[in-house]
Amino acid sequence: MQARIIVLSLLLAAAGTSAARAHAFLDHASPLVGSTVATAPHEVALTFTQSLEAAFSSVQVTDAKGARVDLGKAQISGNTMRVGIKAAGPGRYQVHWHALSVDTHKTEGNFSFTVGGQ
Amino acid sequence: MSRFLLHSCASALCVLFASLPLSQALAHCFVGARFFPATLVTDDPCVADEMSLPTVSWSKSGDVPPATEWDIEGEISKRITEDFGIAIGEGWSQIRQPGAPTLAGFADLETTFQYQLLKDPSHETAMLLGLIVDWGNTGATNAGIGTPYSVLTPTYYFGQGFGPLPDELSWARPFAVTGQVGYQIPTDSYDVAQGFYIPQVVVYGASLQYSMPYLKSEVKDLQLADFINHLIFITEAQLSTPVANNFGNSYETTGTINPGAIWVGSYFQVGLEAMIPVNRASGTGVGFVAQLHLYLDDMFPNTFGQPLIGGSPSKAPL
Repeated sequence: MQARIIVLSLLLAAAGTSAARAHAFLDHASPLVGSTVATAPHEVALTFTQSLEAAFSSVQVTDAKGARVDLGKAQISGNTMRVGIKAAGPGRYQVHWHALSVDTHKTEGNFSFTVGGQ
Repeated sequence: MSRFLLHSCASALCVLFASLPLSQALAHCFVGARFFPATLVTDDPCVADEMSLPTVSWSKSGDVPPATEWDIEGEISKRITEDFGIAIGEGWSQIRQPGAPTLAGFADLETTFQYQLLKDPSHETAMLLGLIVDWGNTGATNAGIGTPYSVLTPTYYFGQGFGPLPDELSWARPFAVTGQVGYQIPTDSYDVAQGFYIPQVVVYGASLQYSMPYLKSEVKDLQLADFINHLIFITEAQLSTPVANNFGNSYETTGTINPGAIWVGSYFQVGLEAMIPVNRASGTGVGFVAQLHLYLDDMFPNTFGQPLIGGSPSKAPL
């Protein structure tokens, strides 16, 4: 019984010691994940469930041949990450992102979108 | 292990929690883009900082007439290093048998030592080795809920996401499977008081999952209701088969198949599953299990949410 009390006491003690933050999940994207858009977007915008560490979060956009079509460094503000896209023709594009939330939890993901109904 | 030694170990852990410098905060069971939730009756394939409190289940035994059993359990898991963790679990049970006294009490204290063998983000693969120890004489032995002997269960765990499937099968990418197989070795072979042999048992289980969060963020955003986008549909199986030292008793496999769902939030998850016995020896009718599971690494990123020792710098350039 003493061991049980010790474990519960530790949990209660920890509860008051730290602000709660969490992993940054991708909440939504523009263009939408898996969507088909009629015209090429000028940028890809990702919105996360938590604020991001700008220096340690990134996004890349590649075409069907694996060549990068993004304009380089992403703009990160709060929980949103944006990156511009070069003039892109019809085809399938892949978005690869890494995120570090402000409490240093890492997440990553990939998704695609299609331009021009292919 | 004597009660004195048990309490000493718990006290030592307490001192470790309170005094050691904490280094960094990393994930619970994230493997690349895949998140393996904590499963209810099996275990996920990662060491982590997390707590299940409570896990509540209700079922009826296969006896005639059947006994009704309530179980309330709690477990806390803590990473000692980045790849090694310890879990401590405890449970309380009440068994009502018609025409017999109600039995109630604590189960034996359970500790699990786990080592992360592999996390392969690109293939969404995770593997884990564990040693589960049920400490004899720490529960309600007189009620038959605890045992006078300890049980050691070396266990292998795995998880595999279907994310690497080709584009033609993108609808299946939110699927994942997890599983575990262990071998229970009691520290005694014969229970003198009860007069029966104590069998060695293979315990195994698996889960099949379909992750709506994965569908939304990796495959296709169908713009469904937010509640649905947080669900992971799951079917778990937990089974056990006596394989040795079971003289005069049945070698029949028992267990349950558990369909249900887990709602995953940022700081906790809630799971609910039906428990369907695989045969008459496993139970009568459909029971249920429900669980509140807390992500301690997200709730307390600067304290409980970090391994006690070591770890690599988390702010590496991406």
